[in-house]
Amino acid sequence: MRSRNDWVIWAFLAAGLAVTVAFVLVPVGHAIVLSLQQADSFISTPRFVGLANYARVLGEEAFWRAAGNGLIYSGLSIVLQVLLGLGFAMVLNEAFPGQRLVRGLAVLPYLLPTVVVALTFQWMTDGSFGIVTVLLAELGLGPIPWFERPDTAMASVVLASVWLWTPFVTICVLAGLQGIPLSLYEAARVDGAGAFARFWHITLPQLRPVLTVVVLLRAIWMFNKFDIIWLLTKGGPLGATEHLPILAYKRAFSQFDVGGGAAVATLSFLILTALVMLYFRLFPLEEKR
Amino acid sequence: MTQGTRRPGVGRRTLIAGGTAAAAYAGLPMPAVHAQVRELRFLNAEPGIDSVRALRVAAAQYERERRVKVVIDTVPPGDAYTRMVSAIRGGRPYDIGTLIFVAHVLTLANEGQLTPITELVNKHQWGKRILFPINGQQYWYMYDYNLCWLFYRKDIYDQLKLEPPKTWAQLLENSRKTMTEGATRRFGYTTPIGSNDATNWMSIGHLWAEDVKLFDDNWTLVFDTPEMRRKTAAWLDFFGELYKTMPPGLTQVTFGNILAQFAAEQAVHAPYAGRMIEFLEQRAPQLADKYGMMPYPDSSGARAAVNHGYDGWVVGKTPMAEEAVRFLEWFSDAHYINFLHSAPLHMQPPRLDVYDDARWRAHPLIEKHAEAVKVMQGFLEDPNIIIRSIDTDGPAPDLRPAKIFEAWSVPEMIQNKVLRNMPSDACVEQAVQSMRRAIAT
Repeated sequence: MRSRNDWVIWAFLAAGLAVTVAFVLVPVGHAIVLSLQQADSFISTPRFVGLANYARVLGEEAFWRAAGNGLIYSGLSIVLQVLLGLGFAMVLNEAFPGQRLVRGLAVLPYLLPTVVVALTFQWMTDGSFGIVTVLLAELGLGPIPWFERPDTAMASVVLASVWLWTPFVTICVLAGLQGIPLSLYEAARVDGAGAFARFWHITLPQLRPVLTVVVLLRAIWMFNKFDIIWLLTKGGPLGATEHLPILAYKRAFSQFDVGGGAAVATLSFLILTALVMLYFRLFPLEEKR
Repeated sequence: MTQGTRRPGVGRRTLIAGGTAAAAYAGLPMPAVHAQVRELRFLNAEPGIDSVRALRVAAAQYERERRVKVVIDTVPPGDAYTRMVSAIRGGRPYDIGTLIFVAHVLTLANEGQLTPITELVNKHQWGKRILFPINGQQYWYMYDYNLCWLFYRKDIYDQLKLEPPKTWAQLLENSRKTMTEGATRRFGYTTPIGSNDATNWMSIGHLWAEDVKLFDDNWTLVFDTPEMRRKTAAWLDFFGELYKTMPPGLTQVTFGNILAQFAAEQAVHAPYAGRMIEFLEQRAPQLADKYGMMPYPDSSGARAAVNHGYDGWVVGKTPMAEEAVRFLEWFSDAHYINFLHSAPLHMQPPRLDVYDDARWRAHPLIEKHAEAVKVMQGFLEDPNIIIRSIDTDGPAPDLRPAKIFEAWSVPEMIQNKVLRNMPSDACVEQAVQSMRRAIAT
């Protein structure tokens, strides 16, 4: 039986390895090869240029601006998603009439396709007849230049991202909250701990494994997030919301610079890998024995 | 199940084995069938239902007449090149494809992926600046000029006793005068300003009217010369004032929004091609006889311009290339006009014989808007009207202007002016740097 179990384990490992090789390692390897070549398009005859694309890209202001934009976008989005998701989850963890309905509604934005959320957000904030614009005008506020100014455009993109993905954090944290033994809170109450003390000394430490994974996943997803920004601003105005994935796409697919685009994508991959490794060092998933 | 209880007849295993064998042998006669039915793969990038229908009707007729099946795949215009390249990389290139960007034709032709159709193109006379020969060969059979001009509300002009503007100053004055406040707020002018194709196509006609060029005949970036810098800075000053008559949110605006804003009576002046008239007929018929058309004026009234565009078909370098050329020749005789009728006012014929063709003129919308069609034709004939675009500037098809187009150098110059309030000279300087960076790669 032992040998049969081994065979099953090896079969699953082989399947996983095959998928990883086919859909991760080969594309990454291909991108790295492309980044060492100069080509106008994917059908052009490429010319090997070594690290020249990297030197060129790293010397451009656009690359560093895009890297900065990516960090600002993902950083702000994650902080807001985690704070709001934690708050919503704590509210939804309490018993109140209509709790199930509210839990369902809270998840709703996450169930919508990104393109629907982006178009809805655009319509709601349309400068002329968007419902948010009109309501704010009725209140004597605005007009708000949602996508007109570099700073507000970044804020708008972050806002849309928070709206879309906070439910994911809410669901994960809610699941974590339900796994915390009530006896811990009761013991704390007996010891005279107030609400904040209970949150700080019981809830947060108990949620640490969940939050560690949630922040990690959201960080990876937000740093690589392409669709919502592309749909809302295409990286504009004036490159204010252009981060590394958008820069790579533009270079490779529309600006006749496949090698440059691949170099940006590879550098983006390396930056993210370094950040993830740093994160694991700061917040190890396993407690030190 | 024990042996004693097994039922006689066809069991599950027999059924599966038989089915598998049948499926395996079913493929044997297929090569013979394939050998009889020849097939052309056509990539269409006009997703409108009437355009797709026109192509399908032609394909069905061709199959009946010539025993060649024409399979039509349809994608949005912006995805056509990516699909063409993917098909080539995947080993199943399209025999005929639609392309909407001159640089894409150039790239494919330079890589030997296209079949020249010079003889076919030379059968007809074409309008100015619509053929793009590459090394002396024609690769692109055009079906749409895609010129862009200005529409204005003639009824409001009549009401306010305004004359169609001949200069920037007059256009600015008219835009200001036609604005209204309150519940029915109306803006004088609308045009996109985002980093997108719409801005490149719709928002710089005034600059061309001023005879600004990007490149000279030796591919020198003459946009950088003092004369072009001065003209462009003056245009930015004008645009900055005109922007004050425009609705908010124009960085997000693209083709469809401009149609909607004009049709919703939100703006009095708007750029577009004949699609605007079709849109008014469908969505705002009360305005379908209240629009006027004019080219983009210059600063002095001496010249005017329309922005350039183009859409056309190419023939791939495939085993079916000869048949594809035969199909295109047959189509261009028998069904070209039917296809143009699928967007009768928007698809402005680049082939000059079409304007005199009674079949084309017989379309109800072309008959109804005969005056508009006359104006559109006039854009091609008037020597004082400049036809220009970023991506076709220069002496021949080349990647350099296309790179400037895709780097959004001009839209970002506009944004620096109206969103950041930068001095016009500084905006031009940034645009020059952006252009230089784009063409350096």
